[in-house]
Amino acid sequence: MSKVYFSTWRGEQINNIGKSDDAWEKSAYNLPLEYNEHAHSKAFIGWDGVALFNPDVDVVRLATEYAAQYQVYSEACGRCAPGRWGGRILYDLLDKIARGEGSLSDMEHLKEVSRTMQETSKCEIGKTVPNPLLDLMTHFESEFVACIENQKPSKHYHLEDTSYIAKITAPCMDACPAHVDIPAYIEGVRDLRFDDSLMATRQTMPLAHTCGRVCPHPCETECRRTNLDEPISIMELKRLGADYETDHGFGFFHPSEKKPSIGKKVAVIGAGPAGLTGAYYLALDGIDVDVYEELPVLGGEVAVGVPEYRMPIDKYNQDIEAVRSLGVNFITNSKVTADMMRRFENEYDATLVATGTRISKKVYCDNERQEIQGYWGAIDFLDKVNLQVKYDIMVPEADQKRHMLPADFVDLTGKTLVCVGGGFTSMDVVRCAIRANAKKVVMLYRRDEKTIIKNTTYEEYHEAVEEGVEFIFHSAVAEMRDENDVLKSLIVDRYELVPDPNGGRPNLEKIEGASFEMECDYLIPAVSQSADLKLLPEEWEIERTSWATIKTNGKDYMTSRKGVFAAGDCEYGPMTIVNAVGQAKRAASVMSRYVLNGEISLTDDEIMEDHLRKLKVYDKKEKIVGWLPGLPRQHSEVLTVDERRDNNREVKYGFTQEEALAEAERCMRCYYIAMVAH
Amino acid sequence: MINFTINGQPVIANKGETILQAARKAGFYIPTMCYLEKTTPCASCRLCVVETDKTDGLILSCQTPPTEGLGVTINSERLEQERTNIMRLYDVNHPLECGVCDKSGACDLQNKTLEFGISSQHFSAKDQHRTIEHWGLINYDPSLCILCEKCVHVCNEIIGDDAITLQFGGYKSSVIPKNSDALDCTFCGECIAVCPVGALVSSDFQYSANAWELTQIPATCAHCSAGCSLTYEVRHTSNSIGAKAKIYRVTNDFEHTTLCGAGRFGFDFAVEGTKEESEFAKAIAALSNASAIRFSSFITNEEAMILQGLKEKLGLKLYNEEARAYQSFMSAYASISGKTGFGGSLDAVRQSDGIIVLGGRFTSDNPAVRYAMTTAARHRGAKVVYMHPIEDELLQNVVTQFVKYEVGTEEGVVAMLAKTLLAGADLSDEVAAFFEALDEGYLCAECNVGDEEFARIAKSFGRAKSKTLVIGSDVLNHKRSANIARLCAMVEAYTEFSVVVVPSNVNTIGVSLICDLDVDNGGENVVGYNASGDYTMGSIGNVNLPLPSLNQQEGTFVSINHQVLPTNVAVSYDGYTLNDLASALGLKSDNTIDYTHKLPLSKGFSAVAFDNLGNFFTPLGEDERGYRLESIDVEASGTLEEIEDLPEFNGSVVYHCNPVNQFNGYTARTSQLEKEAMLRGSAQFAAAAKIADGDKIRVEFPHSTQERIFKLDSSLKGTIALVPAYDVGFGGLNEHYRFEKVKIMRMGSES
Repeated sequence: MSKVYFSTWRGEQINNIGKSDDAWEKSAYNLPLEYNEHAHSKAFIGWDGVALFNPDVDVVRLATEYAAQYQVYSEACGRCAPGRWGGRILYDLLDKIARGEGSLSDMEHLKEVSRTMQETSKCEIGKTVPNPLLDLMTHFESEFVACIENQKPSKHYHLEDTSYIAKITAPCMDACPAHVDIPAYIEGVRDLRFDDSLMATRQTMPLAHTCGRVCPHPCETECRRTNLDEPISIMELKRLGADYETDHGFGFFHPSEKKPSIGKKVAVIGAGPAGLTGAYYLALDGIDVDVYEELPVLGGEVAVGVPEYRMPIDKYNQDIEAVRSLGVNFITNSKVTADMMRRFENEYDATLVATGTRISKKVYCDNERQEIQGYWGAIDFLDKVNLQVKYDIMVPEADQKRHMLPADFVDLTGKTLVCVGGGFTSMDVVRCAIRANAKKVVMLYRRDEKTIIKNTTYEEYHEAVEEGVEFIFHSAVAEMRDENDVLKSLIVDRYELVPDPNGGRPNLEKIEGASFEMECDYLIPAVSQSADLKLLPEEWEIERTSWATIKTNGKDYMTSRKGVFAAGDCEYGPMTIVNAVGQAKRAASVMSRYVLNGEISLTDDEIMEDHLRKLKVYDKKEKIVGWLPGLPRQHSEVLTVDERRDNNREVKYGFTQEEALAEAERCMRCYYIAMVAH
Repeated sequence: MINFTINGQPVIANKGETILQAARKAGFYIPTMCYLEKTTPCASCRLCVVETDKTDGLILSCQTPPTEGLGVTINSERLEQERTNIMRLYDVNHPLECGVCDKSGACDLQNKTLEFGISSQHFSAKDQHRTIEHWGLINYDPSLCILCEKCVHVCNEIIGDDAITLQFGGYKSSVIPKNSDALDCTFCGECIAVCPVGALVSSDFQYSANAWELTQIPATCAHCSAGCSLTYEVRHTSNSIGAKAKIYRVTNDFEHTTLCGAGRFGFDFAVEGTKEESEFAKAIAALSNASAIRFSSFITNEEAMILQGLKEKLGLKLYNEEARAYQSFMSAYASISGKTGFGGSLDAVRQSDGIIVLGGRFTSDNPAVRYAMTTAARHRGAKVVYMHPIEDELLQNVVTQFVKYEVGTEEGVVAMLAKTLLAGADLSDEVAAFFEALDEGYLCAECNVGDEEFARIAKSFGRAKSKTLVIGSDVLNHKRSANIARLCAMVEAYTEFSVVVVPSNVNTIGVSLICDLDVDNGGENVVGYNASGDYTMGSIGNVNLPLPSLNQQEGTFVSINHQVLPTNVAVSYDGYTLNDLASALGLKSDNTIDYTHKLPLSKGFSAVAFDNLGNFFTPLGEDERGYRLESIDVEASGTLEEIEDLPEFNGSVVYHCNPVNQFNGYTARTSQLEKEAMLRGSAQFAAAAKIADGDKIRVEFPHSTQERIFKLDSSLKGTIALVPAYDVGFGGLNEHYRFEKVKIMRMGSES
């Protein structure tokens, strides 16, 4: 709810003109009333309407400036006849009226050009730029006509008292934590300009191979095409640009040229998605970066957590090499300690902590003791599997013994493995266990099938079932039973959903007498992970969140210690790759300014990005016009169960060119321009 | 198949077809400004909007496939209004210089402006200053540009140069060279062809003639074996009586065909001739006394028939080593495949999602092969394996795996490749045993190709559904060409691959089918026709009797697609023709083209008279030029021979290879094409030969000696240099194996 003077946002009709301040009707939307801590907004104008926060706004100038932004921002567009010329005419005519030289026929021409743009433009910018302009011309017609009749400039035309800040967005870009310019990379595929596609992705997302495979794609949930039929297969289209670069042995297509060194140094702790991303953008900005990695290999959880069949290491290594190609210095086998952090504070201009969450949480059952053989944390289990599969790093002898392995790799022949989880990590555990030849693999999950699909993906769940994983829903481990510290069986409780008599959310309640005992050799807890923050010197008293991660304001990612930044899972808690990328990209941007002037600041683009995310760009109720429904979403081929269950071949083939083009053709290029006047 | 309606009439679309494509096929007209049949939709003009019964708002027909039962309306008042407004926008500030614009009279903007009845500028916007760009053979005027993006699409998707891009800037947008200040490309000029307005024009043609003054002569390009369709546009050079017509420019049916720079800009190779009886008598005497005629494949099928007739009539021999090599290769090939010719075509390459190219430098040997590869790579996502001793930088955005082999080891490479591709095929015991017995260790070591590279080929072709193997002319004159041919034929016979064997010259296939060729042992009294001899005639070099060149003749060629293609006279010729000579020698015929319907049926030709041959594309792109050769069954009695010891090429080695857009003595004498006839080599080559950039050097070949300037070429790697052939002798490439050991001596520096 926002207090506004006037608003047509999303079709609302709020008109407080002439009413006293305290009688103002409120807008239903999270409009950006405060631009930042220093400035109140005067108006917000965008694809779906206009809102004025202040009676003194010069609406004629506002309209002119919005049309001007379309010209300024046309590097994102300008690719169709109605948009290119229409946009220019809109601006020229509005400016003519605003400077006091307009005529009434200009108003008619504005309306006519607007209609053609709305009907025929290629992308939503061209289609929607006229919307708020027509709103203003309708509701404030007298102000326009006054300029024309008096041949006088509009009231603030010659005053430089207002800043106009605009930003290009799209529903998918807004939903993506890394704000990847999705329409641009899809357009690159559509136009068969795969280098352009990749460079569009890399503007905010260096891990194109990776996030073309293992991203949970929140963008697809907010894809506007959903309103028409099915969302675009956004994630997979990312692979085409990345594959083009790799297949043809090009160097690396970076989004911009690396700046010459500015003589500043940053330490990045952790070479996972957040660390790599931070390093990439810092290096592009001409900052020398040292990345410290505890493991012998680079890549963090995507390397040692995500299995080969989902994320082939040769592809991930391409992403990592793209980072290295900017001169980033990687130091492996180097676990950073509090002492080192104290030293870093002097040696580096800033530090980015991106250590992830690598401690497996307990399942909280009776007799849950670390020393029981067969009790094996998911993170460590996946480490051992992946280090061997991807890097031929075998399981050390002590660990073999500890985990009752017959050989120096994870071989589960004849064994029963039970995993407790429900998220991506647990899926990785059970499917790796199948590939390690386990006799029986069981997943216990507290909630139902629908929820596990929601928490992961339909494909992931479906493929696991196909491969022979047994899912027991509404269940939880009550007790571990051992003999001489060797796991023998589990007592499993069953639950059911009991409707709340008061109409609230149904409760999970244990079914008495339904518990059963289940023999097993391994219990893998994969419920969640926590961060190991021992590297933060205690005396720095770095603030933590209530779930024991590093606290920042979620905007500039600086911790309570000046110069120490944090991004990724160690800041947010266990979350997605793309979330880590988005945070680290922002952190790198803030850090690149911080190392120069010691100040924490956000760019206008970043401020607008946050405002729009709060407002939410995607409108699931919107009715789509101008696109034909019923063109099916493409699905790429996957290996059959027999082809995949005993090996680590990548399960998904990825799109054929034909599928990719058909899919890219479905994208509606939903770019929008939003603008704040302050 | 999808059933839907347009304006109430039932229409059927194939899977993958858009509403626009289906509409055009069914004969409906939807206006477009940016649509190009052969590329992905540019979708910039928006004129093709239509209404449907399942949508609110207008949808774009060029990029939308219809859904079952959809009702589409392509004309309505609303559509007319929006389309008219779009045209009004196109006309905003478009310079009113139609009076001098090259495009006037054949301009899409002019046509559509008239079609929509726009007689004045309805909208206005501030005009802007624009600078005309001069890019060598191409000029670009951004103020005339309507930013349809056709040029950008064709350059990237069909040609592969990817040399231009759109600089986004709304109203200020323009086409700019990609990643460089000046245009750096192979100058195919396809961007000029597709430009719907006068923005991209030929700098040579600009301001020289109006479209409506030019007479269009449909013909077949006479530079390489691709048989590209082109139109010579001719006009009289003055109004005085007797003024001769000359070619002003070459155009092409760009919706369906593509031309390289040589085809487009290399058109002025006609010769002058007069009828002097004394000279004619000398020619007759030379032919009557001749022991042999030596000729090149720059002749028509009809001329080849005449030469064959002269052979039979006069009992002389016919020498053409280049065509003979092709003939032997294809004969060995047929001994396995059991039929004449190979099964593939440029179209098969274009449709492929897996392509292996071996033994040629296709960017210059045959650009049409390159364009087909580019099309497949972009549109089909084709995996492209390029196997050659020298990497080709121009193919980087097409090739997904470059396999470098040692010079001379083609037989071993092809054997290993065949073994890789034939894995799992249902082979006879004998053939299976042959491959089983291959000494892989030896072959891989000598070819210097690891077995993992062959494994990678097998792996990356795992999902491919249409596959093509393209064999270049390197292998035609290889010592072991017959066995290489048999190995290639095995691939076509036992796998899903279709094979294309690229002929070296314009009509190599025609000559090799029509003429019974003899081994060139030299001898006395050899008459040369477009080739060396004791008495020479033809259209190239300093000849005793000039004869018309290929743009001055009627006749047919056989292209790489086994298509018999007609060509026509663009520039008249006043002298004698080969037919005149043959007629005088008793081989009587009124016209050369009287031979067209007599071409040998036993070789797959059809008895069609020249005047009955089509020479056009239908509006939907069906190729109605000439006819296709029939494949004739022959005995398949060939057997594979054991692989010989692979040769070694040490020391300085050069590769006979022309620069892009140069093919032969004809292209060499055209005015617009660049003629940089230097020996080009890498820094490594220069160091080994102890020469530097700009040095004047003497190159001693096994058969001849040349003096050249050395040019250091940073795009080259390794120890082999490229030496052009187009400017030497009669421009014949491929009479010998294309790699040769040479001795190089520095003679001084260029200045």
